Amino acid sequence: MSQITIALSKGRILEESLPLLAKLGLEPAGDIDRLLRVPSRDKNVSFLIIRPTDVPTYVEYGAADMGITGKDVLMENGSDALYEPLDLNIARCRLSVAARVGHKPGNGTRRLRVATKYPEIARRHFAAKGEQVEIIKLYGSMELAPLVGLSDVIVDLVATGKTLKANGMEETEIICQVSSRIVVNKAAMKMKHAAIQDLLERIAKVSGP
Amino acid sequence: MSIKKWMLPEGVEEALPPTSWELEDLRRKLLDGFRRRGYELILPPLIEHLDALLTGTAQDLDARTFKFTDPASGRLLGLRSDMTPQAARIAARRFRDQAVVRLCYLGTVLRTQPDALGGPRSPRQVGCEIFGEAGIEADLEVIDLMLRTLRLAGLKKAHLDLGHVGIYRAISGKLALDPDDEAVLFDILQRKSQPDLAEFAQARGLKPRVVKVFAELMELNGDVTVLQRARETLKSAGDPVQEALDTLEQVVRKLRAEAPKLPIHVDLAELRGYSYHTGIVFAAFAPGHGREIARGGRYDGVGAEFGVARPATGFSADLNELLRLAQ
Repeated sequence: MSQITIALSKGRILEESLPLLAKLGLEPAGDIDRLLRVPSRDKNVSFLIIRPTDVPTYVEYGAADMGITGKDVLMENGSDALYEPLDLNIARCRLSVAARVGHKPGNGTRRLRVATKYPEIARRHFAAKGEQVEIIKLYGSMELAPLVGLSDVIVDLVATGKTLKANGMEETEIICQVSSRIVVNKAAMKMKHAAIQDLLERIAKVSGP
Repeated sequence: MSIKKWMLPEGVEEALPPTSWELEDLRRKLLDGFRRRGYELILPPLIEHLDALLTGTAQDLDARTFKFTDPASGRLLGLRSDMTPQAARIAARRFRDQAVVRLCYLGTVLRTQPDALGGPRSPRQVGCEIFGEAGIEADLEVIDLMLRTLRLAGLKKAHLDLGHVGIYRAISGKLALDPDDEAVLFDILQRKSQPDLAEFAQARGLKPRVVKVFAELMELNGDVTVLQRARETLKSAGDPVQEALDTLEQVVRKLRAEAPKLPIHVDLAELRGYSYHTGIVFAAFAPGHGREIARGGRYDGVGAEFGVARPATGFSADLNELLRLAQ
C-alpha cells in the first residue's frame, strides 16, 4: 500500500473535515493544534496542517499527494496543474460583492475601487460584466475598507452575513457558491492510483450533498 | 535595489563542478547511444524568425518565448523555447528526400515563464524525433529511448503514463459543441473536476449525453485494465475511438513483453499538448517527484509549414532536472 500525505486547511475547513475523515477511520493521531505534520490512525495516511492558500502549492509540488481546500482558493489560483475530483460539500459559503447599506452604484465616471483578498476573482468577475475596476489587495478585515473610504465595495467570502451586517454593509451580488474540494497531485494520481482512487471512493461515500 | 550584481535572473541556472562534469558525461553517453541507434545530431541556432519557431510543438509557447527585433532586417526574432519545431524544420528542408529521418538534439532553451511553479526558465532540452514513420514501432522506439535516457541519468524507477488525444478529439468533434463551451469543458477535463462539470452542465443546460461522455472520460484512468473498461464505456463512440484503443492496446502489449516490470498508467483524458498532438501521448514520472520528468507523443502532419508534411513522433526532457532528481 502506498503512503499518502494529505494537506488539510487550518481553520473552519479543518473543523468540518475532521468528522468526515473520522468516518473513514482517519483521525489524526496527534495534537493537530500544535503539530504541522500529524500521522493518522491509518499507518498509510498522514496529514499536513497548513493554511488554505498554501494547499495548492504543497500539492502541486508533490509535497502532499492530496489536499483539502476551498474552491475560492482554487479559483483565485486559476491553475490547471491539479486534479479537483471531489466536492466535499463542507465549509459552505459564497463569494459576494458587498457595499455599505444604501451605497449608490457609480455613474461610470470613476473606476470602482474593490478591496479584496481575491484580486483575480474580482478582476474576472467585473471584467465579465464589462467593467474595469481598481483592485486593492488586502489580507483581512475587508469590511473596514468601505467604512473608511478606502474602497467602494469589497469582494469576500460570506457565510452568514453577520459580520457584514454588524459593520453596516450588505451583499449586493453573489459571485458564486463555495465549498471545500479535494485536490490531487497529477503525478501522485498516476503513480499511486490504486491507493488514491480507493480513498476518493471512500470519501465520496461520506461527503454527499 | 536589493538585487546584487552576482545574482542570476529568476529561474536561470548555471552548472558548476561536479554537476557540470556529470552533465557532460551524461551528454556524451546519451548522444553516443542515440548515434548507435541511427539518430543524426542537429545543433539548431539559438535565435530564429519567430514565425518559424512558433510551429508544431511550440505553437502554445508564444507567450513564453523571448522576442526581439532584428536590427539588421527589422523582423521579429525569437529565442528558441523548444527545439522540436527546429528539428521539424530541418527534417522538412534538409532531409526532404529521405523517407524516414531520425534526429536528436541537446541544448539550452529559454522561456519567459517556467513550465510549472518554481521550475526553470532555462531547461537543457534533450530529445529524439522520428519523421516519416506512422506505425507504433516508431512510438515504441521513442518510448524506449526516453526510458533509456532516464536510466542513464540514474532514474531507475520511472512510471509511464499513456494516453491518446484522438479519443477526445473524436468525441468532442461529434458533439459539435459551442467553441466557448468546449474551452470550458476542456479546462474541466484537465482538472478531472466532476463537481465543476455538473455545475457547468446545469448552468449551460448541456445535453445529458454530452455530460455523461465527459464524466466517463474523466474516470477512464488507472492501470492498463482501463483499456478494457474503455471498450465497454466508449463502444458506441465511433471508429476513430476504437482505432485509438487498438493502438494503445498494441503499445501496452509490446511494452509488457519488452519491459514487464515497467509500471504503466493509462489516462484517456490526458490532453497534454492537445493543440499539436495527433495520436498517442506519453510521459514519464518518478516516485517522490510531483511532476512529469519527460514527455512526448505523436504529432503527424508536422512540417507542412515548411513544405513537407510527415508523420512524426518524439520525446524530450530537461537534462538538468533529470540529473537533479537522480542525485
